Amino acid sequence: MSYGNFAQLLEAHGLRFPPWEAGVPPSPAHAVEGTTVIAVKFHKGVLNVADRRATAGNAIFSEEAEKILKLDDETLIAIAGSYAAAFEAVRFLQHSFKYYARSQLQELSLEGKLSEVSRVLSRALPGALQGIGGFLPIVSAFDREKNEGRIFFYDVMGARFESREFGAAGSGAERIRGAFEYIVRTKGPFHKMKLEDALAEALLLLEIAASLDTATGGLRPHLPLAKTVTADGVTDIPEETLRALQRALVRE
Amino acid sequence: MAFTPYDWQQTLRQKADYVEDRLREGSPVVGLSCREGVLLVTVRRAQQQKIFEIYDRLAFAGLGNQSDLETLRQLAVDFAHAEGFARSPQDVSIQRVVGVALSPAMKRSFSDPLRLPLVVRGLFAQLGDSPEKDLFYMLNYDGEFSLGYRFGVAAGTEGARAAMERVLQEFSQKLPTREAAFEKALETWAVGRCEALEIKEPQWRAVLAEALQEGVVEAALLERESRRDRRFRFLREQEIKPFLPSAL
Repeated sequence: MSYGNFAQLLEAHGLRFPPWEAGVPPSPAHAVEGTTVIAVKFHKGVLNVADRRATAGNAIFSEEAEKILKLDDETLIAIAGSYAAAFEAVRFLQHSFKYYARSQLQELSLEGKLSEVSRVLSRALPGALQGIGGFLPIVSAFDREKNEGRIFFYDVMGARFESREFGAAGSGAERIRGAFEYIVRTKGPFHKMKLEDALAEALLLLEIAASLDTATGGLRPHLPLAKTVTADGVTDIPEETLRALQRALVRE
Repeated sequence: MAFTPYDWQQTLRQKADYVEDRLREGSPVVGLSCREGVLLVTVRRAQQQKIFEIYDRLAFAGLGNQSDLETLRQLAVDFAHAEGFARSPQDVSIQRVVGVALSPAMKRSFSDPLRLPLVVRGLFAQLGDSPEKDLFYMLNYDGEFSLGYRFGVAAGTEGARAAMERVLQEFSQKLPTREAAFEKALETWAVGRCEALEIKEPQWRAVLAEALQEGVVEAALLERESRRDRRFRFLREQEIKPFLPSAL
């Protein structure tokens, strides 16, 4: 027994994670997938934005999906890919972090949290290989030791990379990657921007992704979701702010 | 060797005596609803934590052997997290933690003549959206438990518990602020302490001051209004200090 290990606790209680069996043959059915999510730094921390669309094959399954979730009071996760697998993984991680802190009477370190995300991805790998259970997370955290926001992204097997300025995942992400670079080189790094500037850039990128990728919802008709993580914890960007930017950024 | 019903009763009585003896001088714990949330207060020896976070809105405090407090705490944390994941955080309630997970297990352990009894008396608190919905469960070493509203105490003796409850009964009718509740909790703690140690005509501040020569005040709040999921936090030194005898 390794102490504070939530996966072992679940096994002891007869609970499975992930809940589905490996080895199911690939199915022609389309699993629901979340699409473009974006993380960029700003001078106080990290900003996450995501459209609200979830797709199943070429059908729009929901226009109100939440793809930016709180892992704990100072960590955000933005998810692209299999919604079921990602959502279950997020619930697992939320409990895993809290379980560690409460059972061991000390907080799980940022490094510990990031490794746990890798482990969860490797557990989801059999599903990913079958083509229905893969997802890609971007983790944004406020690092209290370095006193700055940090962005981490993963591959489907759980390899972790840190990004200096931005991260994006999902079907629209590849298409706007160059635009991030362009912004950094022409307007300066994201981590020096004010929140309102970083937010405007990120939302415009999301709108561009939507114009290049059918699976991305963009800024309309449904407002995207935007959250920040800073020294003060996780904060939602208010709807009015998003609505004002939606009006300014969307070209008729 | 045959084990008769007489032996069994005798064993239970001896076990109860054994536990009561060890609990008698234990530092009481006080739980009290206030406007800002649920406050838990005790005085502990420097290294031994007595108040613990169990789940998003649940906390536990107790007296007894540190190892037995730990057993109880770990069981509660395990149950709460497995349930919170399997169902939802809203389905993790103090009633289920104490009534379903802990009480029957403690009863079984206490009535097993071949097992050492747990030396522990616990107080569990659940934060509600409003003070009327705050809940306090007192859990005894034999698995029996009782429910209280507005306040709850756990003490080393029955007399101490009764004396502490008398202090809080009237006070808790009006919903206090955190500051007022904290001061009253310290007084209640001292009253319980005097009763257990049979100190006559006590000045509660003097009793507290003496206890603080070797111990420290430990206090935690389950916050009613918070952006955080985890509502539990310890009171900071600057929130505790102004109410200690040395500051008055």
